[in-house]
Amino acid sequence: MSAVAPPLSPSLGLHGVQRLLAGLFPEADGAASETPLELTTADARPARLISATVIEGGELRGIPVPGGPEANFVAFLDGTQTSRVAQYQRGGVPIVLGMVAAVVRERRDRRMFTWRHVAQERLYAPKAQIARSAWERLVSTGLEVCDTAEDEDGPNSAEHPLAMREAAVHRVQKDRERAEHALAIEWCGREERGLFVDGSISGADPVARAPVAVGVVKTHRTLYASGDALTRVLALGQAERSSVFLVTSPKRAPVASWYLRIRDPRGHDPMWALLRVEVSAGGMEGREATRRADEVSRWILAEVAPVSLPDGRWDKMVYGVRDCEEFLRAIV
Amino acid sequence: MTQPLEITHPLGRVVATERKPNTPHEFHFWTALDSPVGIGTIVRVEGAQPVGGQIPEIYGIVVEGFSYTDLQTPLHDMLGHDGTPDGASLSATQRAEIRLYTAAVLRQVPEEPLQPVPMGAVYLAGDQDVAVALRMDGYLKEGANTGIPIGVYRAGASDSVIYVDADFLIGPEAAHLNITGVSGLATKTSAIEWILSSIFAHFPAQKGSVAAVCFNVKGPDLCFLDQPGTIEDADRALYEKCGVPATPFEHVKYFAPYKSDGFSLNTLRSNEALSHNVSSLTWGLREVLQYAEVLLNKDDVDAKADALIDFIRERIVDREFSDPILGNRRYLVRSFADLEAWFRDVLSALEGKNSDGWRSHHIATIRKVRNRLTNISTRCAGLVTDDGAVSDLPFGSFEDRTVYVIDVASLEEDAQDLIFARVVTKLREHLEKRDLGVNHVVVFVDELNKYAPHDGQDTYVRKMLLDLAERGRYLGLVLFSAQQFRSQVHRRVVGNSGTAVYGRMDSDELATPGYAVLSPAVKIKLATLDKGQLMVRHPHFTQPIFVRFPRPAVMRGRDGAEQFPQASDVDLDTAVLRSLRSLDPSITLGWVREAVGIRDDEEIVRARNATVRERPADVRKFFLAQLRPVVASQAAPRPQAATIRSAPADDPYGF
Repeated sequence: MSAVAPPLSPSLGLHGVQRLLAGLFPEADGAASETPLELTTADARPARLISATVIEGGELRGIPVPGGPEANFVAFLDGTQTSRVAQYQRGGVPIVLGMVAAVVRERRDRRMFTWRHVAQERLYAPKAQIARSAWERLVSTGLEVCDTAEDEDGPNSAEHPLAMREAAVHRVQKDRERAEHALAIEWCGREERGLFVDGSISGADPVARAPVAVGVVKTHRTLYASGDALTRVLALGQAERSSVFLVTSPKRAPVASWYLRIRDPRGHDPMWALLRVEVSAGGMEGREATRRADEVSRWILAEVAPVSLPDGRWDKMVYGVRDCEEFLRAIV
Repeated sequence: MTQPLEITHPLGRVVATERKPNTPHEFHFWTALDSPVGIGTIVRVEGAQPVGGQIPEIYGIVVEGFSYTDLQTPLHDMLGHDGTPDGASLSATQRAEIRLYTAAVLRQVPEEPLQPVPMGAVYLAGDQDVAVALRMDGYLKEGANTGIPIGVYRAGASDSVIYVDADFLIGPEAAHLNITGVSGLATKTSAIEWILSSIFAHFPAQKGSVAAVCFNVKGPDLCFLDQPGTIEDADRALYEKCGVPATPFEHVKYFAPYKSDGFSLNTLRSNEALSHNVSSLTWGLREVLQYAEVLLNKDDVDAKADALIDFIRERIVDREFSDPILGNRRYLVRSFADLEAWFRDVLSALEGKNSDGWRSHHIATIRKVRNRLTNISTRCAGLVTDDGAVSDLPFGSFEDRTVYVIDVASLEEDAQDLIFARVVTKLREHLEKRDLGVNHVVVFVDELNKYAPHDGQDTYVRKMLLDLAERGRYLGLVLFSAQQFRSQVHRRVVGNSGTAVYGRMDSDELATPGYAVLSPAVKIKLATLDKGQLMVRHPHFTQPIFVRFPRPAVMRGRDGAEQFPQASDVDLDTAVLRSLRSLDPSITLGWVREAVGIRDDEEIVRARNATVRERPADVRKFFLAQLRPVVASQAAPRPQAATIRSAPADDPYGF
């Protein structure tokens, strides 16, 4: 059964937070730039090749997807984040306003409706770098304040303002993932219908194990092939997929994955319209792996139209995800 | 009573952008794809922030609609389907789509301060909202009650009766109604019939009495207003909703001139079964001479001729006149025949004395005026009688809620003009003197393009219509007019119409500057209006409103012409019988033939006209009294034969 979307929570917004902080810290410098930090912070992850265990056949090869497209996804999940410096404390310590949101948009009778969404607004600052009284005043605003000096990976003692900003962005990103995971977990706990998740599903164990969740990764900074296997992956034609392989990581749940080319790549770069699909690894052995990969590939191929233009990633982005992004853009 | 869901729940939200901001007179809102909103829908906006301690409520009418998707260019859609249109319908998801509407503000509550429309929820207007939005609450309230239903506004599941204000329809605040629409849909005539029914049913008692004078200018359009027509259940429901009886007009009186034969009525309502309320319309010299300028164009009547006509009107007609040049013979000119005799004698006398003029009038002018005046009885034969017989509308005894139809459809243009001019002028004169019999008269004139065009020469009829439009409301004389092209009617005639009604319009007409205030969507709606739909402008409504009205409960002209076919031309005896039988059903053709005997047609017609005009108690006696007595023939005395003288006895020759 479809859930009703809760009303949108009121947001202070950047200017509201800046006014609030200016009242609390009259001596502090305001931040004139409103450019989201996500645009100014480079992706620090290195591009790399990783060999993966192939669980369909002996080696990674190209396989035409049999049958025509089947539209079996009923919902799409995506999230967004925006981080902006609201104020600089003495010493160039940035107080970052981070807004994260995620939504599940359900498809009913070919039209998209909101199943559930979350939108959160937090302040991010390195507690160790600002005075205790200042921290208390930040907390007194009523906004949730996150300490960017403390991370799951350990303490972050960077004092460089840019490093502190990057740390804030990193925390905002984690919050976004959490918001996405929360919605995905809720869907997987309630529904038995297919959910198209924009991005990896391996970050949340219940989602990674759920048979209804399908993660679709559009970026390929990590490629799970090398040598001839990589050549074969990059040579996939339209509606062709690779063999299924297992993606494992110490901090993430194992998932079964394969590459899928959803559009004709001729005349484009090798990764044009190339997706990596993730599904639960449970039961993905032998013929079941083939059956499941073909089935899910057909579902994804059914989403190639309508195209997501004018988005620059339209070759890889399905319309349902673009719809999620438009929704989130409207509320964040 | 439970209100429909769309009235209690918002169906849209106001939106404004820098490119498309809201103003005090216009706002934008979006709705769900399946909302019942369309062009002409009335909505209510509830503001979120109080102004002066009051939550503002804004009423608007949808005047434009937009629909679009997130598609940036059609090329993207084509790319998405690899150029194969048949694949487009197979896509798993339909693009995000919006229904965005622009509404014109009808009213803001509170009215001050007048601010741009705020953001807020949009509701479908219910009955009460419609009344407030159109300011009908002012004249529907207890103590005023001057509302006259003009139709039903329909949106979603609700019907709201739309009332116009009698003070602004019949006067004195504003008045007159003009209706425009393409011909052939029967919308204009039907709408007028419906509105008249509504006026008769709802005209406020405190405003007195009202009657209507309708000129039937084409075909049988208005010839069967007293006969029931065929209406459907949906129409009946509209009648019930508006509180107007779904019945034909109860009191209708028809007037038509005779044909040129002088005894057959020149109307499509000549069937004997309907003759009981049909009267002849005939005028004599006196009636016509007052409006001579209607029939005589300016080229004919120069200052000299005008002076002679004035002289005849003032000194000759209906007065004893003598002049030395005429041998001091006493003339009493009462008819065209008398006038012709008078002219003949004057001209003979002048020729006899070899004189060029008489009483400062040149003989050529006298000849010209004689020619033009005596020619009127020929040009308007059937309406104007040579003998001076008059059968007129009952000026002075008009009755409340009665329709007087004057059928001029088959008349020549001159005769039509004469009838318009004289009837309207007489109505005005009697209303000025407050002795017409009713307080208000609605005059319906169709084909205003012909009678009051915005270009062409100035005619007496156009001047009369202008005068009626500009000053009639003070007297209670109200013009209901109709035409196909409003843009081609004199601007002051349509401009003075407080209420304007539009049926389906021609696209070319809508492209004229007069319709520039309407949005493209409203124009398209006007160009595609169905039968029974109207757009109404009224002084209380700040924007035009679309309404539905029921089919008139009267017989359509075409149906009436089939059901009551026009009587074939009959001989004089039968024509007399038909006329007299309406007064005395016992009269037979045999009696008529015996009564008229061998008298000439002119005398018989005169007797018939006099009887019909007088409507005596004893019709037979009166009719016979009008005929000159026939002297019984007597044998001429045989002349006495002269006696033959006897031959003298002494006649030698024997003769």
